[in-house]
Amino acid sequence: MSQEPIIELRDVTFRYDNRPVLEHINMTLNPGEFLGLVGPNGSGKSTLIKIILGLLKPQEGEVRLFGQPLSRFKDWSRVGYVSQKANSFNTGFPATVFEVVSMGLFGKMGLFKWMGKKEKEKVYQAIETVGLSDYTRQNIGQLSGGQQQRVFIARALVSEPDLLILDEPTVGVDAYSVAQFYQLLDNMHRKMGVSLVLVSHDIGVITSRVDRLACLNKKLFFHGDPEDFSEQQECILNQMYGHDVHVIEHNH
Amino acid sequence: MIQDIIQFPFLQNAFLSGILIGFIGPVIGVFLVVRRLSLIADTLSHVALSGVAAGLFLQNKVVQPINPVYVGMVFSIAGALFVENLRRWFRYYQELSLPIVLASATGLSVVLISLADGVNRDLFGYLFGSLIAVSRTDLMIVALIALLVLVMVVLLYKELFYLAFEEEAAVTSGIPKNTIHFVFVLLVALVIAVSMNIVGILLVSAMMTLPVAAGLQLAKSFKQVFVYAVLFSQVSVLTGLVLSYYFDLATGGTIVVLAALLLAGVIFVKKMVTWAKGSPRSPRKIRQV
Ligand SMILES: Nc1ncnc2c1ncn2[C@@H]1O[C@H](COP(=O)(O)OP(=O)(O)OP(=O)(O)O)[C@@H](O)[C@H]1O
Ligand SMILES: [Mg+2]
Repeated sequence: MSQEPIIELRDVTFRYDNRPVLEHINMTLNPGEFLGLVGPNGSGKSTLIKIILGLLKPQEGEVRLFGQPLSRFKDWSRVGYVSQKANSFNTGFPATVFEVVSMGLFGKMGLFKWMGKKEKEKVYQAIETVGLSDYTRQNIGQLSGGQQQRVFIARALVSEPDLLILDEPTVGVDAYSVAQFYQLLDNMHRKMGVSLVLVSHDIGVITSRVDRLACLNKKLFFHGDPEDFSEQQECILNQMYGHDVHVIEHNH
Repeated sequence: MIQDIIQFPFLQNAFLSGILIGFIGPVIGVFLVVRRLSLIADTLSHVALSGVAAGLFLQNKVVQPINPVYVGMVFSIAGALFVENLRRWFRYYQELSLPIVLASATGLSVVLISLADGVNRDLFGYLFGSLIAVSRTDLMIVALIALLVLVMVVLLYKELFYLAFEEEAAVTSGIPKNTIHFVFVLLVALVIAVSMNIVGILLVSAMMTLPVAAGLQLAKSFKQVFVYAVLFSQVSVLTGLVLSYYFDLATGGTIVVLAALLLAGVIFVKKMVTWAKGSPRSPRKIRQV
């Protein structure tokens, strides 16, 4: 893997209909890093992630993925994504768990190709990883919310991405599966060198697992090592109580 | 019946193109239905109608041997391109482009029909489908387009499936949404154009959605939806053609009524099965308590 940063945001500003949501965001994610992103509701975490994924275009600033400007970036199979509202799909959609997890490979396979034996094997593996082997042929609409979320996690993992972006991926997933899921993330991170961005409100997980922590509230007002305790605390307080960003700034 | 088919080439043409249309209609229809875009089929069929009306007008007034169906085909393809552009224009109300085009096309059709000396037997055939309208050349064109549609759907199956399921995720995995959607709308326009002769303009969209609605009741996977939808579609097309031949009924109408009956039957049987299996804990019973 090259030493270029995986994600690079330079002075990114984003507005929804003239209402600023993100202001002058600078951020880098280096290869193999695990970045935690926290902030109160409405602080712009999901928006920032959609900008990184090219789903939203910032009014100002530059975004680079794997060293390339976003507009020229084509290698989307290197990026796995679990959205915050992964179960916003139409629950009546007639697709099996197998079919949904397969989707994770479609981008990588490229146009005009069909799934072969090798691809199918990977899909079964990913389904097993999230512990849903018994549900492989079940309709996704018939699973529980937490199980559905695990299907989407499997879909993000199946293409073995170099960068995994997870927007509150474990909402509605039971404690045992959450523990397993973080074990899995740890594995991918440590053994396979996958770079990770994780949005979560779960402070325990964030502080114990990530390499770096970013606190967002319109501005990225802290972006450093989570072991720096005082800064970390500030960040967490803000995250938990949703203090206005200005209060925090006065404390500096 | 078999004898008649052997004897009359026009019946061969009708049956063969019926079978082909009964195949590609629901295949395209599956994607329309799961994306909740059935209205596209209605819209483009009305655009095709204005093309047919323009063709009839040219035929009557400018005195040229022109087949209105081909004018309809050109119109529905142009309509597909137009809908796509309009959709981008109304970024926040994308579905608004459909009723706009539908209404304008219907208005244009009515004007052109009145210019072309009003409703005649030809027009009736185009509106509601007919057995005798299909020539050998028409059949060849249906076959060609059926092949094209099938090949495109097979080649783009993954992308169409992912986009239908969850557009945002599909885009982030690098699937070229706009290109795929564009190709798809063109395919819809082509299917509508070739279905005009047999099923009729006003009933084309029913042909693309009713068998799919029935298939959705039974399918356990996305692929199964295609199997059931094509099965129901073929049953209604073949039975419809036979009935319309013997009882001199409008072909498209007969086919669509059968498809609707099949759908009702499937829903009824499914209800009965659920009811028979219903344990005291089924939601139905709880509501009754
Ligand atoms: N489609 C939209 N149109 C207009 N405003 C939006 C839209 N989506 C989000 N916003 C606004 O942008 C701000 C940031 O939203 P975002 O979803 O990024 O927050 P978040 O940090 O992910 O919150 P949460 O913790 O609840 O997930 C919010 O104030 C929200 O109201
Ligand atoms: Mg969010």
